[in-house]
Amino acid sequence: MLRYTLRRLLGAVPTLLVIVTLAFLLLHAAPGGPFDSERRILPAIQKSIEAKYHLDEPLWRQYLRYLGDLARGDLGPSFQYRSTSVNEIIAQGLPVDATIGLTALALALAVGGAVGINAALHRGTRWDYGSMALAVAGISTPVFVVAPLLILIFAIRLHWLPAGDWVRGSPSHLLLPAVALALPYIAYVARIMRAGTIDVMNSAFIRSARAKGLPLRLVIWRHALPPTLTPLVSFLGPAIAGLLTGSIVVESVFGLPGIGRYFITAALNRDYTLVIGITVLYGALIILCNLLADLCYAWIDPRVRLR
Amino acid sequence: MRGLDDTPRSLDPLLVNDVPGQRVADDLFEGLTRAGIDGKAVPGVASSWESSADGRTWVFHLRPQARWSNGAPVTAADFVYAWRREVDPRTGAQDAEGLAPIENALDVASGRKPPETLGVEAVDERTLRVHLNAPTPYLLDLLALQYLYPVYEPAIRQYGDAWVRPQHMVCNGPFVLREDVIGSRITLEKNPGYWDAAQVRLARVIYYVLPSRADQAARYLANELDWTDSFAANQRSWLKSNLGEQVVNSPYFGAYFLGMNFQLPPFKDNLALRQALVLALDREPLVRYMRQGMYQPAYSWMPPLPGYDVPAPDWQSLSDDARHALARHLYAQAGYSAQHPLRTTLYTSIQDGDSRHFFEAITASWFSVLGAEVQLYEEEFKVLAQERNLHKLPLFFDAWIGDYPDPYTFMQIRYSGNGNNNAVYSNAEFDRLIDAAGQQPDNAKRYQLFEQADRLLSDDAAYIPLYFYATRHLVKPYLRGWQSNVMDRNLSRYMYLLEHQQR
Repeated sequence: MLRYTLRRLLGAVPTLLVIVTLAFLLLHAAPGGPFDSERRILPAIQKSIEAKYHLDEPLWRQYLRYLGDLARGDLGPSFQYRSTSVNEIIAQGLPVDATIGLTALALALAVGGAVGINAALHRGTRWDYGSMALAVAGISTPVFVVAPLLILIFAIRLHWLPAGDWVRGSPSHLLLPAVALALPYIAYVARIMRAGTIDVMNSAFIRSARAKGLPLRLVIWRHALPPTLTPLVSFLGPAIAGLLTGSIVVESVFGLPGIGRYFITAALNRDYTLVIGITVLYGALIILCNLLADLCYAWIDPRVRLR
Repeated sequence: MRGLDDTPRSLDPLLVNDVPGQRVADDLFEGLTRAGIDGKAVPGVASSWESSADGRTWVFHLRPQARWSNGAPVTAADFVYAWRREVDPRTGAQDAEGLAPIENALDVASGRKPPETLGVEAVDERTLRVHLNAPTPYLLDLLALQYLYPVYEPAIRQYGDAWVRPQHMVCNGPFVLREDVIGSRITLEKNPGYWDAAQVRLARVIYYVLPSRADQAARYLANELDWTDSFAANQRSWLKSNLGEQVVNSPYFGAYFLGMNFQLPPFKDNLALRQALVLALDREPLVRYMRQGMYQPAYSWMPPLPGYDVPAPDWQSLSDDARHALARHLYAQAGYSAQHPLRTTLYTSIQDGDSRHFFEAITASWFSVLGAEVQLYEEEFKVLAQERNLHKLPLFFDAWIGDYPDPYTFMQIRYSGNGNNNAVYSNAEFDRLIDAAGQQPDNAKRYQLFEQADRLLSDDAAYIPLYFYATRHLVKPYLRGWQSNVMDRNLSRYMYLLEHQQR
């Protein structure tokens, strides 16, 4: 198991290298530079800015310099937000995204799991159809519709919750963004859990457990739940990476200081280092979460052996 | 609680070249002068000044009470340090050109002379002498801009770029920096050591960064903002009918226009064609229907400014039909016809659906009035900016916002060889008028020269005027102590809140 984990981690290095290289080349190939603006800058000043950010060097040199910095964990200075480094931006934004993401994840698992299992146990009834209809609605309603609706109802009309902003440790600021972010995940989890539960409940070992006279609750918790988790885990691996790096829409609608929004703005601003930094972070998280998911399989399902 | 359209690019006033950055810098720092409640300069760190007879040497007397937020006095040497730093190419200040009126500023910024040669000297601790290239009647307004604010040398020496972080920043304005959450929120607190602190009424100012204008409106409606930086144009009628007077539009010192490249076909040496494109557009309906009537249709170059007579071109008074007929006549004169129509491309930047419709209406007008077939091509803003600067585009969207309330800030970009002269326009007579205005100490006469220059641009069809900007804010009725002004500068130091029921 340890050897397997180490091998996977080592294998991630070339993958990340490919990601960095592609991001680097694509960005530098795009027309327009980070310091092009509506106003022209005096040539000497433009030159000095370029020298400061090493934009005057040949591309291969910039690339090697970036890799060297990256190896030391330095993602470089942001071009758009002068006097700020990419490390600072990520250090400030990631905890915010992680808090919201993990809250949303907990909501998705608790609510989605309960709804899914419930629907499976009452298969073919109004419970089932009702919750699955809601799930389909949840998956197909985009966040940019849900989030403003939540603000309209709970912040503007009822004045119960703030419409935005982020105060560390304040649950009222966390609730709306987490719910907005969680809704589609709740729906996914509910569907996966329903399908899994139906599958398992029909299998022979559940029949024997029930035949032995075990109460239904115990059968579900002890026998039915673990095998239904396998498909859930494969969904959650990449989903967690997505939740952790934040949602562009949720962040901008609620004005949260996360990093998700930079996926777009940094690219438009040609903020080379910020784009690559976030891409690398996202890539690393996906690799890590997939690895964790694989390790979870082995733990949940005794048939899986990792070598 | 105020909204901001974007994250300030820096909180270092000398590196600020964006409106959000300017708003925050205006609250944290104070120059020799500062923007008054009406946007015009009033005394700041300098309590008095005198200028020499030729208007080229100015002496400023600094207030003895002016202090940095760490208690140190603000001295003339602080200004000398800041200005040298601004023009020093190593600083990489994008607005260094703004110091151009000061002796040797451009030479220093171009790397031809060392920063020490800049025409500014500290006579003693509280006396600053400034040497100018020419009489600069707008100098006092210029001094109220963030790139001429003083900065505190020891903080910069000690912390480098990180001196703008809340724990390190030393500033001299009515507020100090308490918290800076990049991309989200900037919290300022009243600076008790500020020399005029008795006049500052707000204890705290929070700026929220909300790049989406619809989000600013939502936060405003939820009573989480008292003042928005802007609102979405397509929400204006809804906001207006629901909020009434809280929706504020007022003239803003900016122009929105189309540029025609004077060195590329089809516009090169083709006055008739340029005039035809200018005349074919119906500006009133364009602004009324495509821009919700928010802006003022433009017929000339310089936006209105108190004391400046906007010169109306002859064709402005023509009826639509007569103007269209004239446009068709000029179009034919330029050699185009139904069999041989003008085919070119209008380059714009990707903004929003509203803007696309606006440009579609323009190309549609050219088609219906002239039969010209103009394609629209949307580019990312950075790409458009680069290609415009490199003079690669024949016909393009452009805009200009004045730095200080003086015609020169607009006129300069039509001067031969000016770096922002995206159209590569060049007219010796125009340059002569601008030079003459530069040497003219009498403001009324200067303005007349600028009016002549403005008229010359119209006669040359040097650009296609569209409209003059307007500010757009949502302001709570209980927020007082501010006025609409053409520079759209609203310093928090003047603002106060009336007692009000929240919700």
